[in-house]
Amino acid sequence: MNFPLPNFLPALPEIFLLTMACVVLLVDLFLTDRSRGATYILAMASLLGVCVLIALSFSHSRILTFSDTFVRDPMADALKMGIMIAAMVSFLYAKDYLREHGMFKGEFYILGLFGVLGMMILVSAHNFLTVYLGLELLSLCMYAMVAMQRDSAIASEAAMKYFVLGAIASGMLLYGMSILYGVTGTLDLGLINERLPNVQDKILLSFGMVFLIVGIAFKLGAVPFHMWVPDVYEGAPTAVTLYLAAAPKLAAFAMLMRLLVDGMASLHGQWQDILILLAVASMAIGNIIAIAQANLKRLLAYSAISHVGYLLLGVLTGTTEGYAASMFYALTYVLMTLGAFGMIMLMSRQGFEADRLEDFKGLNERSPWFAFIMMILMFSMAGVPPFLGFWAKLSVLQALVQSTGLLWLAITAVVFSIIGAFYYLRVIKMMYFDKAEDSSALIASNDMRVVLSANGLLVLGLGLYPGLLLAFCLATIVSP
Amino acid sequence: MLENYLPVLIFICVGLLVGTVMIALGFVLAPHKPDSEKLSPYECGFEAFEDARMKFDVRYYLVAILFIIFDLEIAFLFPWAIVLKDIGLFGFLAMLVFLGILVVGFVYEWKKGALEWE
Amino acid sequence: MEQILFYIFATMVVLSATMVITVRNPVRAVLFLVVTFFCSSAIWLLLEAEFLAIVLVLVYVGAVMVLFLFVVMMLDINLARLREGFTRYLPIGAVVVIMLAIMLGMLVGPEHFGLDKFEAPARQAASYSNTRELGMVLYTVYLYPFEIAAVILLVAIVAAIALTLRRRPQTKYQDPDIQVAVQRNDRLRMVKMDAEKRK
Repeated sequence: MNFPLPNFLPALPEIFLLTMACVVLLVDLFLTDRSRGATYILAMASLLGVCVLIALSFSHSRILTFSDTFVRDPMADALKMGIMIAAMVSFLYAKDYLREHGMFKGEFYILGLFGVLGMMILVSAHNFLTVYLGLELLSLCMYAMVAMQRDSAIASEAAMKYFVLGAIASGMLLYGMSILYGVTGTLDLGLINERLPNVQDKILLSFGMVFLIVGIAFKLGAVPFHMWVPDVYEGAPTAVTLYLAAAPKLAAFAMLMRLLVDGMASLHGQWQDILILLAVASMAIGNIIAIAQANLKRLLAYSAISHVGYLLLGVLTGTTEGYAASMFYALTYVLMTLGAFGMIMLMSRQGFEADRLEDFKGLNERSPWFAFIMMILMFSMAGVPPFLGFWAKLSVLQALVQSTGLLWLAITAVVFSIIGAFYYLRVIKMMYFDKAEDSSALIASNDMRVVLSANGLLVLGLGLYPGLLLAFCLATIVSP
Repeated sequence: MLENYLPVLIFICVGLLVGTVMIALGFVLAPHKPDSEKLSPYECGFEAFEDARMKFDVRYYLVAILFIIFDLEIAFLFPWAIVLKDIGLFGFLAMLVFLGILVVGFVYEWKKGALEWE
Repeated sequence: MEQILFYIFATMVVLSATMVITVRNPVRAVLFLVVTFFCSSAIWLLLEAEFLAIVLVLVYVGAVMVLFLFVVMMLDINLARLREGFTRYLPIGAVVVIMLAIMLGMLVGPEHFGLDKFEAPARQAASYSNTRELGMVLYTVYLYPFEIAAVILLVAIVAAIALTLRRRPQTKYQDPDIQVAVQRNDRLRMVKMDAEKRK
């Protein structure tokens, strides 16, 4: 059989990560508990290696390989680098937490690395098959990580809910894919986009598309497919929550872009309406229910739901500026969420989870510096200028108004953002104006202090020069 | 292609027929006079005092799950074995990588002691 | 003939699938699930997807359902508790199901998927081997998804072991390796001593 040899070079980062993950898996087997730190170092080195590999071969155009099942374009590279950095930061924050809670096992890093591989596959998918397989690889790792604390009833329950709802969402996604395959006769996203306008039966198309969007919305955690988010965020060990709150959001954004923009750009008029609905519902439910939360992890979960609403606003414009604004928003959100969960882990100790709002009371007396960092993060999440979160919201809304003229939608978004500011500001009020219940000093290793500070300052610094990141995002989204 | 499967279809029909006819005949012809003693479960001569279902060691499931994973792996080998001559070295190496990844998993479960029965 | 067979097997799939969720005894439910899989594999065969049909029987009926049956027979499931919320959730469930059924009915009917819209694929010759055709593309054209499948299986191994394996240091068991390696000298000490006389 004559078969042209595929070009392996574009997939080199993936191949490298797979090899390294297997190496970490094997090395970890021969380590004792005392030398387990080597697993952590190897895992960090692999992620760093992937990051360097991508940076060295940063692509400027679209390359397809493996019979067009794999795509590499600037957006994929940028998102992959974001994922690597987010995963590295979450591994670093998680290290002490895992040690203190007796969970410092190789499996956390192994599953984490394979999860990152799944995200990379998802980001580079150009075929329904690779979208689905990447998604399953990522989800499988995350289910297992949530359940890793085996003796915790709440973690097991969270894992169970996540697994069952995730399986249903995968089923929906597959059903949508199968209908679209039936109509177009291909699994290749590029070909689907070409063939869609020729399809006579529009009802069938919208039906398949709706199922696809349900699957994506579930992974993003958009209302009304958000039920799993608060329970999983709260139930999972904080280290795992951090991992699954940060990097996978970038992968989910990529999945949205691949399926809707690469695969169904010609149906933009139809998916726009659905995304508007999802965005409004997410912003409303996320921001309003978050007010009632007493648990910070749950609060951040509802805040994640509302942020997904803002993220969708950019994508639904269907323009390059809108996509870039959404990508900017996704990167910003990941940066902020890493910091926020990092703060929870910084404050937690052995046998004590600092996940209640009260635990942050009087943080200013205990550690003025970290109270300041947390203040930056909260202001940024609330969208107060001049922090990064403000510019992210602004760019999304700008793209929305300029390209679609949906002024009412922009106004709704602003109104909910003001409602949402309440609960972020309440955290700041608690840190600065309430008395501390517990006045012990914060204990944390130096690397965590440095990275967390850098994380917070980056939110401030990039906020002062917002053009940098946005220009980068605009440059990476190549108009198809 | 389907005509190749005609014997299977006939076999299914015959099997169904034989199975149902025998059970039906037994049901119709045999004398049955049930009473409460005959219908109650028999447990070594004394009264049944607990349900047969109970908490089971999770190790049994682990073995079963690991078996299924390797069963699935075998399923991928069938088409490969048929076309190996046509897909050449590339196909051979493709399967080698596939099996290599799973061997890593096998080493993992061996070293972890998942195959041992303590 | 083919159409008749399709309708027979399709009816059996639907009926046995309904039985899976309605019978009270979970063991019977699993057995009905086996019937469902078996009939779906027959439908796949009618589509000439020979390999899928065989794998469905081999993997699902042969391995997965055996595991299911094993779990269901052994676990202590409180059936009464499982049915507790039934009447409470019935109305909302019924509404969802009816709406879904209407939508599906609108969609997969002949006006959208009929033979006039999509031509039936041509029948293959008797010498056609579906497994062969699949093999020709699976390891070459679809190399990338194929290797991802291996990674997913690897993650499944890691996850299954990480979640269920517990070391039990206190259990006593025999290690045949050590048993076989035992030397005479490990167990028996020959002591030379003079015989003593009774005084």
